[in-house]
Amino acid sequence: MTSLPPPIVTVDRVTKRYRGRVAVHEVSLTVPRGEVLGLLGPNGSGKTTLLRILAGYLSPTSGRATVAGYDTVDEPMQARRCIGYVPENAPLYSHMRVDEFLRLMGRLRGVPPCGVGVRVAAVATRLRLDDVLRAPIRTLSRGYRQRVAIAQALLHDPAVLLLDEPTNGLDPRQIIDTRSLIADLAGQCTVIMSSHILGEVEKTAHRVAILLEGHLLTVRGMVETPDLEALFLSLT
Amino acid sequence: MRALGVLLGKELGATFTSPIAYAVATVFLVVLGYTFSLTLFFTKVANLTYIFHQMYVLLILLVPLLTMRAFADERRTGTAELLLTAPVADVSIVLAKFLASFALVLALLGASLTYALVLGRYGDPDWGPIYGGYLALVLLGALLAAVGTLTSSLTENQVVAAATSLGVFLMLWFADSISYLLPVPLDLVAINVSLIGHFTPFVSGSMFLSDVGYYVSLALLALFLTTRRLADR
Repeated sequence: MTSLPPPIVTVDRVTKRYRGRVAVHEVSLTVPRGEVLGLLGPNGSGKTTLLRILAGYLSPTSGRATVAGYDTVDEPMQARRCIGYVPENAPLYSHMRVDEFLRLMGRLRGVPPCGVGVRVAAVATRLRLDDVLRAPIRTLSRGYRQRVAIAQALLHDPAVLLLDEPTNGLDPRQIIDTRSLIADLAGQCTVIMSSHILGEVEKTAHRVAILLEGHLLTVRGMVETPDLEALFLSLT
Repeated sequence: MRALGVLLGKELGATFTSPIAYAVATVFLVVLGYTFSLTLFFTKVANLTYIFHQMYVLLILLVPLLTMRAFADERRTGTAELLLTAPVADVSIVLAKFLASFALVLALLGASLTYALVLGRYGDPDWGPIYGGYLALVLLGALLAAVGTLTSSLTENQVVAAATSLGVFLMLWFADSISYLLPVPLDLVAINVSLIGHFTPFVSGSMFLSDVGYYVSLALLALFLTTRRLADR
C-alpha cells in the first residue's frame, strides 16, 4: 500500500462572509504535493473566494488555511513566497512592456536582481513569449495576456500555483495550449485551478472539488469519477 | 526596503508618464506664471506671499487628480490582486504610492522656484517668508498626498476618489469658519484643525513646531489608516 504524499495545502473549516453573505462555508480540504486539483462549481459558488484566501488576498472570517505549512494569515509573507497566483481575467499593468512587467513581478516575488533577467528569459521561453517580450501589454491578444499572467506567477518557481478560471475567454487553440501547460507544470508544482467548465477540469485535474453556494459538496479523484457530468448534476 | 524601492520605481514610472501628471503640471505652472507676472507688474514688490496662497489653492484643487488613481485604478483593473498577494508588506505598497504622488508635488514646487530666483536676481526679497512658504507648501503637499492616497484606497472609482479628496481638503480648509457657532472647547478644535490656520504663519515668516506637527501628524494618520484599509480584506 502506497502512502499519500504530505499535503502542501490545507484548508481547515474556512468560512468567509462578505457584508452578511456567506461566500465560503466551513470548507476543509487538503492538497498533496504535485497534484492538480480542480475547483468546480457554478458562478458564485465560492471558488474565487477560496483561491483568494489561499493567495492571501482575503482573510478567512474563521478557520485557517496553510500553504507549505505557513498560515496564510499569521505568516503571510512566507506563505506568499510559496504561491504563484493568476487572478481571473489576467489583470496586468497595461502601460508596461512585457519584459518590464515580468521583471517587476519577479523582483516583488523575491527573485534577486542579478537573477531576474535569467528567470524572465527562461519563463518567457517556456511560455512562448519571446516574440512579444518588448511589446506593450496593452497591444497583446487575450491569449498572450493570459500567458503573461501565468508567466508572472512562475517567476519565483512557486511550490503552489493558483489559477482562477485560466481558460476564460481563450479561443480553442489557446485553451489546448493552457491545458498542456498545466499538465506540464503538474510534475513540478501543485496546481489548484478553478473552473465552471466540466470538460476543463476533467481533462486537466487529478482530483475535483465541487462547490455550491460556498459549501464543499465532494472531493473526488478523477480516476474514480468516470462521469463527472453525472456526478455534478446529481450533486447540484 | 528592497520591495519599497522596487515599488517606488514602478509608481514613479507610472506617475511621471501619466498624461494626468502633465495636464496638472501645465495648469499649475500656467496659472501660477500668469498670477506671478500680473502681481509683479502691478505691485512691483519682491515677495511671493500672494503666489504662496495661490499655490495653496492650486494644490488643494489639483492634488486629488494626482492621487485618485493610486489604489482606485489597481482595484478597478484587478492588479491589486497581484500586488497584494506578492510577499510585500502593505506599508511598503502604501509608502510607494504616497511617495510617488508626493514626488510629483515636489517637482511642481521645484518648478515654481524659478519665481523666487527671478525675484532674487532682479530684486531684494525678504528670504525668510520665502523659505517658510516653501516649507509650508512641502508639508501641505505631503498632507494632501497622504489624504488623497487614503481616499483612493476607499473606492475603485477614480472620480469618486478625487471628489472625496477634494471634499476633505475643502472641509479642512474651512474648518475654522464654523468655530463661531461652536461652544468651548469645540471651537478651539475647529480652529486648530483648519488647514489655512497652520499655513499662514509660515508665509509671514513665522515657524511654529505646532504647525509642522499638524501637517506631519495628519499625514502619518492618513498613511496609517490607508495601511489599515489595505489590511482589512
